[in-house]
Amino acid sequence: MSNELLVVKDLHTTFATAGGELPAVDGISFTLGQNETLGIVGESGSGKTVLARTIMGLQAIKNATVTGSVKINGSEVVGTSEEDKRKIWGTEVSMIFQDPMTSLNPVMRIGKQVDETLRILLGMSKEDAKKRAIELLELVGIPSPEERYEAFPSELSGGMRQRVVIATALACSPKLVLADEPTTGLDVTIQAQILNLLDELKEKMQMSVILITHDLGVVATRTSRIIVMYAGRIVEMGSTQDVFKDHRMPYTRALLESAPKVSNPSHTRLVTIAGRPPNLLALEKGCAFAPRCKFATDKCHNERPELQATGTEGHMFACWNPLTSSRGDA
Amino acid sequence: MGRYLLQRLVTLIAILFVVSIGSFYLIHLLPGDPAFLILGFNYNPVTKAVLDAQLGLNQPIYLQYFTWIGHVFHGNLGTSFISHQPVLKTILRAIPIDLEMIVISQIIAFGAAIPLAMRSARRPDSTLDRLLSAGSFILLSVPGFIVIVLLVLIVSVKLGVPNTGPSTYVPFMENPFQNLSSLLLPSITLAVGSFVLYFRVLRSDLTGVLQEEFITMARSKGISQRRIMWRHAFRPASVSLLGSAGVNIGGLLASGFIVQFLLAIPGIGFILVGAINTSDYLLVQGVVLFVSGSVVLVNFLFDFIIFFVDPRISRD
Repeated sequence: MSNELLVVKDLHTTFATAGGELPAVDGISFTLGQNETLGIVGESGSGKTVLARTIMGLQAIKNATVTGSVKINGSEVVGTSEEDKRKIWGTEVSMIFQDPMTSLNPVMRIGKQVDETLRILLGMSKEDAKKRAIELLELVGIPSPEERYEAFPSELSGGMRQRVVIATALACSPKLVLADEPTTGLDVTIQAQILNLLDELKEKMQMSVILITHDLGVVATRTSRIIVMYAGRIVEMGSTQDVFKDHRMPYTRALLESAPKVSNPSHTRLVTIAGRPPNLLALEKGCAFAPRCKFATDKCHNERPELQATGTEGHMFACWNPLTSSRGDA
Repeated sequence: MGRYLLQRLVTLIAILFVVSIGSFYLIHLLPGDPAFLILGFNYNPVTKAVLDAQLGLNQPIYLQYFTWIGHVFHGNLGTSFISHQPVLKTILRAIPIDLEMIVISQIIAFGAAIPLAMRSARRPDSTLDRLLSAGSFILLSVPGFIVIVLLVLIVSVKLGVPNTGPSTYVPFMENPFQNLSSLLLPSITLAVGSFVLYFRVLRSDLTGVLQEEFITMARSKGISQRRIMWRHAFRPASVSLLGSAGVNIGGLLASGFIVQFLLAIPGIGFILVGAINTSDYLLVQGVVLFVSGSVVLVNFLFDFIIFFVDPRISRD
């Protein structure tokens, strides 16, 4: 599989906490090809952000144990030193952070934050780097980029700041970009702009993108494949088409149903998922979703379902009582 | 942007006004009659009345203040009744010694505190961090007059390093080497307190800043830890450091007198102690005004620096 850009194999991230071992990422495997966009979807606390940071090799919290394997363009990330990872950070893989209000340095001019990697990683001269940084700011749609180059983050709006974050992440043309809820902190109207911008840049710069979100609407039209996560595990994955139209896992359906639709009549009650995301320190033996699942049986509570194929290529789910295919071919 | 500085400037002027009233009134709080002090054996009601009229002491106190402050603005702090020297001249002769001690002590304090705080903050609760925190706490609780005595005992007496003991001070122009070596131990003494303060403030701010999301983002860009520390973390973490340095450096002018007195270094503190002992009221007044004015100005200067270090301040 030499054309796979990212290969994740049996990845576990466990945090040692006062309450015991917390499996934030629990045995995840998937691959991602060149120029592909993958969506990772799940509720808050399902392990999406930890997964992204583990793939990147950026442990945010101490006391984390990582096992398994992550290969980015052939380079192993798990178990290597920060110095080794620095060789792929920026140039092979980079991350677009969630909150543009906290992810830019408040006391550094934004131009300096964008052109820093150009000078350090690519060895550009000061003038060249500045020129390129202004081009990048223009590319991400920042008006009068020469002026904004000198601005501090506090002088820009949230949407503009997120554009700066994107410009910074893409400065050295990485092959893989991890976008961790890139629009959660933004106004709805700005969200669409930022996502369209990402799409556009992905085509222009020939990158693969992992789009992490809790909002299925965000991934619906922008990804080729979707992974649905629950309690640190993959519960369903497949092409975007399959996940939306032919999902088998009740959790996937619950997520889809909980998104408000424009076609709903006024005053329609929002569908919610009963219960709360599980406490990862006290998981049941069986399926983590079983306590909230209306189809749960004794088996669901006692035996953990593994991922199984549906027959459609690449479409897998982990459930003992899968929904019957809405296409009627299951 | 200008509003912050203007606000600070107004505060500065107000504080300087209060300081000047305090310094002026000080002389009226001290026991004794200046006329008696000046006239000595010639004191009698007639000579006193003449002298009071000469000095303006028979005028209402607020008029006396305005006359006095008018002279201050013209650089005239009066002439000492004891040494018959202009007060300003005496102060200006002493002040370079204090400045030299402060500069040396601050180079030592910042030079030690910044790299050590960075080491500590990189791995909070590591052995090194605990050792440094405990060590700085011990240093914090040792007063300067103990430090200087110990330093003199070890360096000048036991090790016999020349020109480091008491009464070895010579002006810089006369013999730069002896000048520097004579000021080394007192400067180290002043540096101890500054070091502890700077280390603790910077360590705690850096530890916080290093947990910020923008530091994680800087890491993800693939730049070195060294660069992250100096270019990304140090500046946002240095605001309280600069603030406390402003207060501290001003205070050093006032607190240097202990070491100066012990080692007979004719700095401003030494002059002040001498003036108090000889009841040289005008000199005391001049030194108090000069030192407290300097403390306020140094503070303002550091506020000004902070304003440029942290662009967030200009937005508030």
